[in-house]
Amino acid sequence: MNCRSEVLEVSVEGRQVDEAMLALLHTILLHRSTGKFHYKKEGTYSIGTVGTQDIDCDFIDFTFVRVSSEELDRAIRKAVGEFKEALSNSGSDGMGQISLEFYQKKKSRWPFSDECIPWEVWSIKVNVVNLANEQERQICREKVGEKLGEKVINIVEVISRHEYLPKMPTQSEVDNVFDTSLKDVQPYLYKITYQITDSLGTSVSTTMRRLIKDTLAL
Amino acid sequence: MAHFDTEYQRLETSYNDSPPGEENLLVHVPEGSKSQWHHIENLDLFFQRIYNLHQKNGFTCMLLGEIFELVQLVFVVTFTVFLVNCVDYDILFANKLVNHTDSSKVTLPDAFLPVDVCGARIRDNVFVIFILVISGVFWLHRLIKFIYNICCYWEIRSFYINALKMSMADLPYFTWQEMQARIVEIQKEHQICIHKKELTELDIYHRILRFKNYMVAMVNKSLLPVRFRAPLLGDIVFYTRGLKYNFELIFFWGPGSLFENEWSLKPEYKRGSNRLELADKLSTRILWIGVANLLLCPVILIWQILYAFFSYTEVIKREPGSLGARCWSLYGRCYLRHFNELDHELMSRLSKGYKASSKYMNCFMSPLLTVVAKNVAFFAGSILAVLIALTIYDEDVLAVEHVLTSITLLGVCITVCRSFIPDKHLVFCPEQLLKVILAHIHYMPDHWQGNAHRYETRDEFAQLFQYKAVFIMEELLSPVITPFILIFCLRRKSLEIIDFFRNFTVEVVGVGDTCSFAQMDVRQHGHPAWMSAGKTEASIYQQAEDGKTELSLMHFAITNPHWQPPRESTNFISQLKEKVHREAICGQQGILTENHIFSSIQSESEPHSLIANLLVGPPSLASLNLGREASMTNHVVDVGLADGASALRSFSPLSTSQHLRSSYASTRLPRSDSAALGGGRAMVGSGTDARTASSGSSAWEGQLNSMVLSEYASTEMSIHAVYMHELHKQQSRGQLSRHTWHRQDSDESSEGIPDDGEAPRNLPRSNTFPCAGTPQQEGAPLHNTAQRRYGGTTESLSGGSRPMARFSRIPMGGWAEEAQASRLHDPVPEEGSEDELPPHIHKVT
Repeated sequence: MNCRSEVLEVSVEGRQVDEAMLALLHTILLHRSTGKFHYKKEGTYSIGTVGTQDIDCDFIDFTFVRVSSEELDRAIRKAVGEFKEALSNSGSDGMGQISLEFYQKKKSRWPFSDECIPWEVWSIKVNVVNLANEQERQICREKVGEKLGEKVINIVEVISRHEYLPKMPTQSEVDNVFDTSLKDVQPYLYKITYQITDSLGTSVSTTMRRLIKDTLAL
Repeated sequence: MAHFDTEYQRLETSYNDSPPGEENLLVHVPEGSKSQWHHIENLDLFFQRIYNLHQKNGFTCMLLGEIFELVQLVFVVTFTVFLVNCVDYDILFANKLVNHTDSSKVTLPDAFLPVDVCGARIRDNVFVIFILVISGVFWLHRLIKFIYNICCYWEIRSFYINALKMSMADLPYFTWQEMQARIVEIQKEHQICIHKKELTELDIYHRILRFKNYMVAMVNKSLLPVRFRAPLLGDIVFYTRGLKYNFELIFFWGPGSLFENEWSLKPEYKRGSNRLELADKLSTRILWIGVANLLLCPVILIWQILYAFFSYTEVIKREPGSLGARCWSLYGRCYLRHFNELDHELMSRLSKGYKASSKYMNCFMSPLLTVVAKNVAFFAGSILAVLIALTIYDEDVLAVEHVLTSITLLGVCITVCRSFIPDKHLVFCPEQLLKVILAHIHYMPDHWQGNAHRYETRDEFAQLFQYKAVFIMEELLSPVITPFILIFCLRRKSLEIIDFFRNFTVEVVGVGDTCSFAQMDVRQHGHPAWMSAGKTEASIYQQAEDGKTELSLMHFAITNPHWQPPRESTNFISQLKEKVHREAICGQQGILTENHIFSSIQSESEPHSLIANLLVGPPSLASLNLGREASMTNHVVDVGLADGASALRSFSPLSTSQHLRSSYASTRLPRSDSAALGGGRAMVGSGTDARTASSGSSAWEGQLNSMVLSEYASTEMSIHAVYMHELHKQQSRGQLSRHTWHRQDSDESSEGIPDDGEAPRNLPRSNTFPCAGTPQQEGAPLHNTAQRRYGGTTESLSGGSRPMARFSRIPMGGWAEEAQASRLHDPVPEEGSEDELPPHIHKVT
């Protein structure tokens, strides 16, 4: 695929799942968001400001920084909540993967719908562990905090590499690159998907789609 | 969760972010996406389409071709149905009289049944309905695919026009290498691939040929079940399009295949832990696909028959000899293909080898068949002559029943017979022919060399180069046999296949999962017997057979001079080139000193210049002579080395002249590149530098130039291939025991016998070399190569004596008497002759 992919792996206790996920997803999004663009005449624009917030976790000894945007936070929380739900309902050994995919839209000709082409995918693999007693929980609390700290540094390292980013769009194209629906911040277009256990391959719909495409491409 | 608000807060007055008065300071200019070509999602498909469009000479040609294909399909089906159901054959054969009133002539429309009768006949026939439905579905599928393809290729077309700045009309005049150079340029500007700033040629090749490389590697490692031992036919190779399609379906793109998508292997197949489980899964999948094939077999069979009938009957009628013609088999194409070799490169090189190959195959005429054919042709010819004479006398003869038929049949019969009668004036020299073939096809099993005259070799070569008729037969049989091969042969290999994909898949950044052989890394997959000794770290399992890694590397480096190989590969290439270069120069020195000895006999050494001749085309007379002498001088020890070197040398004058032409082409354009001209003059042995220089400066200018250069590249590759094979032969020979070495040598000497099949081919070998091998002599050939080439005149003189002895045994084909004589001469050991001839040497000095 013509897209970068990064994989992060964490093992956490059941109740830490959402905080850990929020911490990582927010960290990535913090670096993949800009202030709102204000286009002016002559095709120039200025960038608005972005506020940040420190968030302390309840079940992990960890503090992370996120963009202070309630709307964004709500959207992420919703996705993470669904993921956690699915994870606890799955009843399997508590493996799951949540991925944050940045994409850009590309207008296509008539017979095809607009393509969403991912350019960076972050996959966070979660392994849920069960702990026996309070002391272990205490240790886990610290250890997960340390681990998350490492991951955050990882993320920052990856992001500060000089690699492909979609080019800054003109006013008419801004919706193809950035998510402009939020009032106070403007992240790159993103999509959060999750998957419980790495079951065999992809979902049915993607398989079907591929099958059709393959048949056409014979 | 506690929230701590830091001081970095968003300013709510959004339109006045900047302090008053400085509104204009922080202003950005959007780059916009000027082109739609940045960041293409599926680069594999994208490059494949670019390549296809280039190969099909532009959009219009392609569109027309596809439309005609669709129309053809409709035509085949309707015409067949029409012939079966709507023609009254009784009228056509005049068994029934037509009740015409106006004239007695029967016209074609009379034979057609009326529409309603015809429709009723079709409706009643369940079988016809069945076929119609199936072909209808098939056609609809093709139609949808066609529309989809056209939409996709329209995009590619606009890519060509807008991004590559090239109109469709110009497309046929650009070589693929030029296109590729432009794509590499484009990447810098548009970033079509987001992983890296710059694309390399290898990346593009990897993406276009991802699966083909796997197939080539699997054939190379004999993983695919394509060789069978049939009870009556002996060793056969069965590899048809249907089988290939099924293999690809199973491995690469079918539902549940090993690949997740075009560019990545499924992660579970990359882990070794559950290989048995995966092998089980694969084997059940193969079983299902095999069963599906079995069920669909009647449909495919009918289709194949119809298709073959309509595509070949016309050809056979027009020229019946075409069935006797040969073509490169599908297996041959896989076996002979380099890693990272595009279709057009392979085809052009195989086509160049075609003539020599068919000549070689024609060497083997069965004398029995010849006698029979001669007589049949005689009888058939006499009858035909009489019939024709009668017809000329009075053409009413034609109206007699079956006269026209017999004339046609007799004509066909004579043509067939004639193909079994060898040309009287043909000169046979299989060993030389095989070498010429090798120069083009680049691969050949070791045991062929020196055994060119044997029927076993011929049969094995026939597996690569089969009769067209056999090809069609195999295609027709394929639907029936394929399911059984899948179920009984391929399934057994499922574990090996799983292991193969796990062991030989590497993930390359910016490309995805590719076959590791296709990296052409000498260190990982080199074969010690192919010049990568000391460099390779590969186990036997990892070594590519037949020197595929090394030859592919050479081939790729030569066809893509701009490509920067990794360091070890660069070393390998430059070492090899230097060696060839040195051979060339040493060979030349040798000639200067020995020129006059052989001047009298040089004209007789025709077969040896064959390579030089064929490689170069019509070279100047002088260079041809040089070529001959060089090959003679060094013949005993290393025919091919000298052949290659001399060819290289004899090539250089020609190439210089070509170069002049090409630089003329570029001077017409604004930027004249004197660098290219200079480079052209400078090259003596290895011409790559010149090529790089000129193509570097004028890749965007002269079209003629690049055509010439690509021609040049293929010649250079031929020379290197021959050279590498020769070196390999020597190396492996050095490793063999003395006995084997001698036997091989004696084989080579017996090649002098003309191959009309009758001549006694084998001399008692033990007698051939009664006392030959003293230890010192055993090592001689190897020593000689090493020293003589780089050493002084004495060395080359001691070599000079050898040709005399050797020369009497040079395979001469038509020179039957001489060959006989040489056979008598044979018992004298080759090495012994060296002692007999010292006087000559002294005379020379």
